[in-house]
Amino acid sequence: MRSSLRPLGATLAALAVAAVAGCGADDAGGGVDLSQPVHVDVTAPPPTKLSAYNLFAWDPATGYTFNPTDERVVPYDLNAPLFSDYALKQRAVYLPPGAAASYDPELAFEFPVGTVLLKNFAFAPDLRAPTVGTRLIETRLLVRYPDGWQPLPYVWNADQTDAELAPAGAFEVIDFVDDAGQARTANYLVPQKNQCETCHARKPTPTASPAIVPIGMKARHLNRSYAYGGAVGTTNQLERLAALGMLTGAPATATIPAAYDLRPLDTGGVAAIPPAELDAAARSYLDINCAHCHDPNAVQGITSQLFLGHDNTDLFRLGYCKRPGSAGAGTGGFEFDIVPGDPDTSILYFRLSTETVGAMMPLLGRSVTHAKGAALIHAWIAAMPPVDCTTM
Amino acid sequence: MTRLTFTAASLVVALAACGSDENNFPTNSCADVTGTCVQIDGGDVAGLQTTVNTLSPNTTIVLGKGTFAMTNSLTIRAAGVHLIGQGIEATTLDYATTAAQVNGVDVQGNDFLVQDLTVQDAPKDGIRVEASDGVVFRRIRATWTTPSDSTNGAYGIYPVKSQHVLVEDSRAEHASDAGLYVGQCQHVIVRNNVVTGNVAGLEIENTQYADVYGNTAEDNTAGIVAFDLPGNPIVGRDVRLRDNIIRNNNHTNFAPGGTVAKIPAGTGTFAMASRRVEITGNTYQDNNTGDIALISGLVIEPDTTKWELNTATIAGQWDDLGLLPGVGAGTITNFRSENIVVARNTHMGSGLHPDLNDPLQFGVLLILIYATNPVDSVLYDSVGEPMFNSTDAAMNSNANRICVGGNTGGTFASMNLAEQSASSQVPFFRPAAPFAPFDCTTLNGGPIADVVLP
Repeated sequence: MRSSLRPLGATLAALAVAAVAGCGADDAGGGVDLSQPVHVDVTAPPPTKLSAYNLFAWDPATGYTFNPTDERVVPYDLNAPLFSDYALKQRAVYLPPGAAASYDPELAFEFPVGTVLLKNFAFAPDLRAPTVGTRLIETRLLVRYPDGWQPLPYVWNADQTDAELAPAGAFEVIDFVDDAGQARTANYLVPQKNQCETCHARKPTPTASPAIVPIGMKARHLNRSYAYGGAVGTTNQLERLAALGMLTGAPATATIPAAYDLRPLDTGGVAAIPPAELDAAARSYLDINCAHCHDPNAVQGITSQLFLGHDNTDLFRLGYCKRPGSAGAGTGGFEFDIVPGDPDTSILYFRLSTETVGAMMPLLGRSVTHAKGAALIHAWIAAMPPVDCTTM
Repeated sequence: MTRLTFTAASLVVALAACGSDENNFPTNSCADVTGTCVQIDGGDVAGLQTTVNTLSPNTTIVLGKGTFAMTNSLTIRAAGVHLIGQGIEATTLDYATTAAQVNGVDVQGNDFLVQDLTVQDAPKDGIRVEASDGVVFRRIRATWTTPSDSTNGAYGIYPVKSQHVLVEDSRAEHASDAGLYVGQCQHVIVRNNVVTGNVAGLEIENTQYADVYGNTAEDNTAGIVAFDLPGNPIVGRDVRLRDNIIRNNNHTNFAPGGTVAKIPAGTGTFAMASRRVEITGNTYQDNNTGDIALISGLVIEPDTTKWELNTATIAGQWDDLGLLPGVGAGTITNFRSENIVVARNTHMGSGLHPDLNDPLQFGVLLILIYATNPVDSVLYDSVGEPMFNSTDAAMNSNANRICVGGNTGGTFASMNLAEQSASSQVPFFRPAAPFAPFDCTTLNGGPIADVVLP
């Protein structure tokens, strides 16, 4: 019944968008007006102000308010989130009226032209109180144009009233107290536009040309609940997107794979992960933090022949007793990527835990150590049955 | 009065420098360029970064005289981009204050050219060009301002996984791995460059069809080397190292780790896990451990299964090379060094002080064998030879087709590396010229053809 009504509503909404676009409202400077629909024009150059999209309102005191028109802006979380210097993240997806993403069991969903994926990066002075004194640093958009995804970095102004398109990125030293009460200083980098490919470029096949793709918008990452509040309450994210007509082709939720839900790690640290689940937790952590490069279809990490995706079953290429190709300073003086049972001589752990420029991993997006994440990998390697790699 | 006149004149000059193309672009400018061209004043980092991140294909960017204090990589992701400064002493991209873990200039885009500028103190590699077809480095310098610092970036000039690459008239200095590193490329010319103060001066890795000539490698840990690493899907072949000067490469190894940290100081050239290599017409002088070593890849990775490559995924031509099959179905291996000609080189003053600190203790072995005598100019490890005998030439095989001869001041020795240890040394086989059975003079499959770039 619901699906038969969608096309009409979609048509009307599309007409409304077209009418607004026709007024030349782009960059009017009037700020966000959530009584109006979202405005995305894939035939024009990207607007210089983030407010021109009309995607959400931001108030440091009250947080985010997403554009409610037709419920086309849907916030979401990931089972295993990518670590970015402890930045507080808020993600959302916007789909044009009447359009839907198509489900894929493994890869990022296929999204229609006009889709916007947005990710806000914020810091608070003390991350144990993340809503006190929160400051938005940047909003990254992935916008689906007819010829593919465009990454668009927007940097927020000091007054927190709007963000400006910043193809050159930005750099800021940020002091904060982390979620465990440790004082930290991040050399926080807003990637320049061309750097987005470092993580987002992927080859459809190992020999094809790379294209920009989303990372988190995959079934296993999205398959979890979200507290939408209001009448919707808390429900599964994939089911919610399907109910809104924004996702087609998804099978019954019980048959959809799910990455390990790392929320217990954030709250309780590695002690909150049951020993029997260490492997699943660690593999999910490596999958979201590393596999956009360390994958046979990736671009940057191929030379290493180290593959950290959730589906890699080749233990050698996962790092077991594997010597790195040309890691240089990245070895920390150690021989093997993973020495089972011995995390402290494993290059994988060294590179995740060090803060030495030239040695640390991932290449971008981390200048400080993710203490709980590193502890998870440490515990995972320590729990492996010991192997003497030098005799293999 | 005189003083006042002088001051006023200085002011005029200063103003002119701000506004005048002539002063900021004395050597190269958009006036020399056909097609889209953008001039960036020296030091205008924001202008440069915005330009590069909003670039149309086939754009030339001319950088003015001065130093650009970079806070992030210069990332180029468009085809046909030319990046041109005012000369290596005039235009500098300086990454001393870049906190992010990035390369200096980071390029993916066909038909790229970089010319007439210096890149210094990059956190990772100086100039890295990846997966690009048509690459020119000309009259550039990649350097780090603190010599011998293990926290310096890994590679200075670094084309990787690219085709049709020309590196000429450039300098690479003080890299903590390799100054000029050609990795997994096809069709490469590297000529008339100077590499100095690096761990490895000039490296050709897993690369096909490379002509390396007219270069000077001095004061590195190792001078000019060619090798394959295990697991890379391009099998190195057809590498010519000719007419280079490779001298005084005795720099203490300051690599922070990895395979390169195992190279003994005082190494001129080695070919490792390599085939169809010509080392000819070079001048070797005062390299304290030795001039040329021909060694098996098993020296760094003894497990042959790690050298297996699936023939379905190998890039480029390989099926004429006679590569040993692997244990796995449909695999070959590339650990063997074979089909190598070493000829017409000149050797002077090398091999007198082998490095005693290299982790593989190769230098210690050489001291035990040679004592105070000079190490032979060309050393062959004999790995994979069915026959080795220290005294009888007829009892040595040359299954790997190693051809050595016609060198000035050049001697030769092979060793039974597998039987050597710190406590027990098998004497080397040290024949007089013409070094039979290693007196062949040609490569199987014919000489290496000239590299032709479009």
